[in-house]
Amino acid sequence: MIDFLAAAIRIATPLIFAALGGILSERAGVFAVGLEGMMLLGAWAAVIGTWGTGSEMAGIAAAAAGGAIAALAIAIVTVRYRADNMVTGLTVNILALGLTTYLMRILSGSNGPVSVHLDPLPMMPVPGLSQIPVVGTLLFSHPPLTYLAVIGCVLLAFVLTRTQAGLLLCATGENPEAVFAAGADPMRIRMLAVIACGGVAGLGGAVISLQQVGTFTDGMTGGRGYLALASLIVGRWNPWGAAAACLVFGAAEAFELRLQSYGIPVSSYIVQMAPYLIALGVLALLGRTGKLPAAIGKPL
Amino acid sequence: MNEMQPNTIGTPVRFPFRLRTDGILARILWAIGLSIVCAAGLIALADKNPLVAFSAMLAGAFGSAHQIGVALNKASPYLFAGSGLAICFRAGVINMGSDGQIAFGGIGAMATIMAWPGEPGLAAVIVALLAAAFCGGLWAGLATAIHLGRGVNEVLVTLLLNFVALLFVQLVLSGVLGQTGAGFLQSPLVPRTAWLWRVPLFDFHIGIAVAALGAGLLSFILWKTPFGFAVRVAGRSRLATAYAGFSLAGITWGVMLSAGALAGLAGGTEVLGLHHRLIEGFSSGFGFKAVTVALFGALEPAAVIPAAIFIGLLETGALSMQRQIGVPSALVVVIEAMTMLFILIATVRRS
Amino acid sequence: MAALLEMRAIAKYYGPVRANDGIDLDVRAGEIVGLLGENGSGKSTLMKVLFGIVPPDSGGIVFRGRELSGHRPREAMGAGIAMIHQHFMLIDAMTVLENVMLGWAEAGKVLRRGLIAQRVHEVSRRLGLDLDPHARVADLPLGRRQRIEILKAVLRNAELLILDEPTSNLAPGEVHDLLTILSRLRSEGRGIVFITHKLPEVLDVCDSVVVLRAGKASPKASVVGVSKSQLAEMMVGRDVAAPHILKKIDNQPLRLEARALTGAGLGPLDLELRGGEILGIAGVDGNGQFELAETLSGLRPAVSGSLRLDGRDIVRMSSARRTRVGLAYMPADRSATALVKSMSIAENLMLRDSRRRPYCRNGLLDQGATVEKANSLMAQFDIRARSADTKAGSLSGGNQQKIVIARELDRAPAVLVAHQPTWGLDPGATRFVLERIVALRDGGAAIVYISSELEEILAISDRIAVLSAGRFAGLVKREAVEKAQLGLWMSGRTA
Repeated sequence: MIDFLAAAIRIATPLIFAALGGILSERAGVFAVGLEGMMLLGAWAAVIGTWGTGSEMAGIAAAAAGGAIAALAIAIVTVRYRADNMVTGLTVNILALGLTTYLMRILSGSNGPVSVHLDPLPMMPVPGLSQIPVVGTLLFSHPPLTYLAVIGCVLLAFVLTRTQAGLLLCATGENPEAVFAAGADPMRIRMLAVIACGGVAGLGGAVISLQQVGTFTDGMTGGRGYLALASLIVGRWNPWGAAAACLVFGAAEAFELRLQSYGIPVSSYIVQMAPYLIALGVLALLGRTGKLPAAIGKPL
Repeated sequence: MNEMQPNTIGTPVRFPFRLRTDGILARILWAIGLSIVCAAGLIALADKNPLVAFSAMLAGAFGSAHQIGVALNKASPYLFAGSGLAICFRAGVINMGSDGQIAFGGIGAMATIMAWPGEPGLAAVIVALLAAAFCGGLWAGLATAIHLGRGVNEVLVTLLLNFVALLFVQLVLSGVLGQTGAGFLQSPLVPRTAWLWRVPLFDFHIGIAVAALGAGLLSFILWKTPFGFAVRVAGRSRLATAYAGFSLAGITWGVMLSAGALAGLAGGTEVLGLHHRLIEGFSSGFGFKAVTVALFGALEPAAVIPAAIFIGLLETGALSMQRQIGVPSALVVVIEAMTMLFILIATVRRS
Repeated sequence: MAALLEMRAIAKYYGPVRANDGIDLDVRAGEIVGLLGENGSGKSTLMKVLFGIVPPDSGGIVFRGRELSGHRPREAMGAGIAMIHQHFMLIDAMTVLENVMLGWAEAGKVLRRGLIAQRVHEVSRRLGLDLDPHARVADLPLGRRQRIEILKAVLRNAELLILDEPTSNLAPGEVHDLLTILSRLRSEGRGIVFITHKLPEVLDVCDSVVVLRAGKASPKASVVGVSKSQLAEMMVGRDVAAPHILKKIDNQPLRLEARALTGAGLGPLDLELRGGEILGIAGVDGNGQFELAETLSGLRPAVSGSLRLDGRDIVRMSSARRTRVGLAYMPADRSATALVKSMSIAENLMLRDSRRRPYCRNGLLDQGATVEKANSLMAQFDIRARSADTKAGSLSGGNQQKIVIARELDRAPAVLVAHQPTWGLDPGATRFVLERIVALRDGGAAIVYISSELEEILAISDRIAVLSAGRFAGLVKREAVEKAQLGLWMSGRTA
């Protein structure tokens, strides 16, 4: 059971990163439909960066940069040119899919993708703390990026509620005119928020490719960006709420992986559907009660 | 100037999807041109000559009657789904669920054929296509019910349902509709008697003709009927829609069910006309293509016909380019997405 | 006293429109200057120029001895100018404290909540603002929200406060409190520009007055010894139709009847309206006018009660059916509700009738008949445009409202609900709209005329009801009106 929960946390890690990024974007008033593309480009950049330089740190930095580049495209098209958030986000998702697929192939020089195999990031038990029974296994025996995700939650929660930057960010999603009247530039804030979203979501991509798998495969994010989007809505645009929702999805996936060993006679496809069905169910249950940032999706 | 109005009520969460209509054709051509320039850069990155690559693409697309037929077969599902999306977007309903609706259409058609008593003939084909439309509409209807009934954003609902539909196809293929011992997740072959008729020489199935008919019909509805007028008003102002006495829920149901049924037909014709069986993941990515052709067609259902054929030719050409000179065909996805971004930039309304 | 602000020969043109045509404005420290003018006289533009929202085409600004040019709102604020917009620039979902800290360097990069809350308390006490720093803006009445804006300005050491139509959303009691606060600010030596089109307020609170008219300004004059009529002459009051001859309406049939009509934020209301009668609904904005208009027209559901039109219960009918049985509605929001700006005049004229003849025949739209009908309505209602294909959004406000009135009156309605139908119109268009409404009344229809412009209500109504907090505070015949009584009814809502 403890192992199962610890696995759920690890599986939820990329979702948490993406959801944290999405909170930045949506709080500033831009729908984060492009999370999937940001993650995918991040995942790709992480692998290629690590492969090219031999340094995992460089790979992780490349992942953030890759996600930020995908986000930059969204920021320009939606914020500067006021295009529809949803369609733009979806388009960038496809662009990332096409681009990474294409680049993997031209790197190999043949029709197949280049084959890169890296050792997944190792477990990094926290000395001392990981020895504590139960809690040690659950919380302090994870690979590095999982800790980073938790730090990200703490940091974002702090920024949103305790800093001027967070105040301006949330205000931009609620009433950009008031932000302008207060002497700040809401367009700049939105651009930066979306780009930052890309950076963080890109790290989520790195978790998948560097920490979980050790290579890049076409479209390897497999819809996690959309799940992250659902979790940040279910989590009411709050880092801890979103992280909790991500953990539920993580648990569903962890359950699916263990299904066979448990010998439960349920089709694995139905279990794989579970995260999506849970997301839909919770969203439907919350219905209209959730208060979106008042100015979300509205061009400046 | 300062055109504030007293008592404008709370702004609706969704705001209508709008396109600039002045000089739209020129804008779209510009966007395509720009993205091809970007594509040339990517080809050069692969150490290939862009001009050689593009001519290989052209030759691939128009090289033979058969190639054109392949392109039309590719265009068929895009046209079905894209023309439906055009009227959804016109109404400001952003349906991203074509993938799932196509998948259910495929299930509907295959299930009908497999359940058909005796040798399936023309009647079976017609019933199968009706079932496909019905199943596609059903899946769209489920999304609409969640969206309208519970106030969940339609983009999110349709996207999440896509994943469910995809897995549902795998589920039925691993069970009732599956071919035992195939090694892949696929259904048994559709009997030859129930294959869609193919046009000789070009060898494309008649799905594209049905789709073009559907697009024409939607265009007629959009411009010549009061419902079409309501759709156009709904896409421009939610407040005016209510004031005009149109039911936003009714409009949403109308466009979603139409788009769902058409997407279902896309799935049905893929199964009966192209693959001749239901295959795992056969609808993946079609939703985005449908969005692409809908926008390329400037949300005018009739104009989606050339847009879909264009994308079909582009993709056929890209496959041939990959074979001939080794530029990965994924390039075509990049071209489509880049063009979309440019179109989004060039055609938004600026106040 | 020292000159705080000098604006010299400010000019700003929007195409052919001379919004500001060489305007001078001086404000001294400890002075309240009234800036008086009708809608469109150039007040807002002048203030946008001062605040750096739009650049002037020519002219210069000197503030506290320093030249201000090419500045953005941030610089204007830094220099000590604060603007309090008519529509408050507040984040409703946040608290008073958070709104105060927003964008304010002194709040710190990591917010010093405790410290700032302390200062909010101090200033609030000193000026009598009565604000709780931890209250959510959305929960506060409009009068309090305005005080947050004042609080923000004072905390940021603003020497000059610009208040744009500060009383338009306030009940009379709240107006009194505001004026008290303003005189406290004056005694602290701050300069205030008080933008309004209401004469009595200028006389009550201002030291001097500048009147704007068609982009030009009068010389600054002291309010001492100036009378209301002199000011009105300078401004040229709104050119409304002279009070029409009241009609005897006793024998007319009952056309609209509400019994205990109740909706969210509205009622219960009782209402009886006879043919040939205009019922004016007065009141401060935000007291249920919008809810009343929408509930009558069927755009929002009534919770309980009945509503009869010509004796027929319509309370459960959709707005489309109400339109069919003879209820016409002109909403206040022309730009997004009453019209679809990106559609043609012809399409806007058929907006609410697209399923009926002549627009629709055998279930299909009849293009030819639509254009024909549009041309005839355009001639009949004097809608000036190149053709019926012209986009409604490209027309002037007056011509836009003529489309709405043409569409609604062409149905020969039994009852018309008109909400702020003359808002933002020039005098000619205003008169046109009022004349058409009076003509409709004279033809035997009943009219509910909702407006926050009391003068207009007095000019056009046969009876007057005052809406306060969603209920009728009083109902009186036009000939029996006492303005003081109306004022009391309007102030029924507590601040």
